[in-house]
Amino acid sequence: MSVDSSELHIPARRSELAAARRYAGEVATAFGLDSESCYEFVYAVNEAVTNAIRHGAADEHGMIHLSVHAEADRLTFTVRDRGTFVTPVAEGTATSECGRGLALMADLADEVQLHTEPGSTTVRLSKARSPECVPARIRGG
Amino acid sequence: MTSFFIFDDVQLADESCPDLAVLVVGGEVDYEVSPQLRQRIVHAIRAGRRRLVLDLSDVTFIDSTAIGVIAGAVAKLEDAGGGSLAVVCAHEKVLQVFRITALDSVIALHSSREEAVSALALTG
Repeated sequence: MSVDSSELHIPARRSELAAARRYAGEVATAFGLDSESCYEFVYAVNEAVTNAIRHGAADEHGMIHLSVHAEADRLTFTVRDRGTFVTPVAEGTATSECGRGLALMADLADEVQLHTEPGSTTVRLSKARSPECVPARIRGG
Repeated sequence: MTSFFIFDDVQLADESCPDLAVLVVGGEVDYEVSPQLRQRIVHAIRAGRRRLVLDLSDVTFIDSTAIGVIAGAVAKLEDAGGGSLAVVCAHEKVLQVFRITALDSVIALHSSREEAVSALALTG
């Protein structure tokens, strides 16, 4: 796995979430995010992948697509599925079960971008590395 | 696969509070396992428990779906005629999720299981 650019295609199943978190954690660590930023990055990724599995749609092979891209001090994670994103309606009560994922993503990632069109939803989240952080050794592959 | 466990602490839910249930949850609580959490909560309420303690002391990760299940437990208790929910949580990362979602203003958070049980024993 290279930190510069890497992809992971996973079945759109709940049981794949732990693998997605592991992948995001490995990439974030190798990129050199500190432990706090690493946790926040993994958390935001988990929410984005959960949304794709829960509300999105898999491709013809039953997969959703994750990718990571590093540029300068910014690590960007992309989750792509074939669903059409529906903006959550404002929650009526504080005890509703749904509707908190985007808020958590927005709070924990530095930047969240949502691109949606019929049959395609892409979520990009990014986290910046502290300038003083020395990147871990980048593994080839 | 997500690391996760949930069990009832039958020692603390003793005869002095027959409607008290203590659910001990640990590991990573995400969308894969949040249905199990919901099922245990529903089961406890259907069994007549109206004072619920959720001990999240051993939870290392909790996502929005699990937080939603916990928020929903408050509504389920209301629907059942009223009740109380207390959450035990000392892990900073778990507390942070309650803060971001503003659920810390809706649900009583405690730093120990004993404290939560004592607080609920005084209610109702």
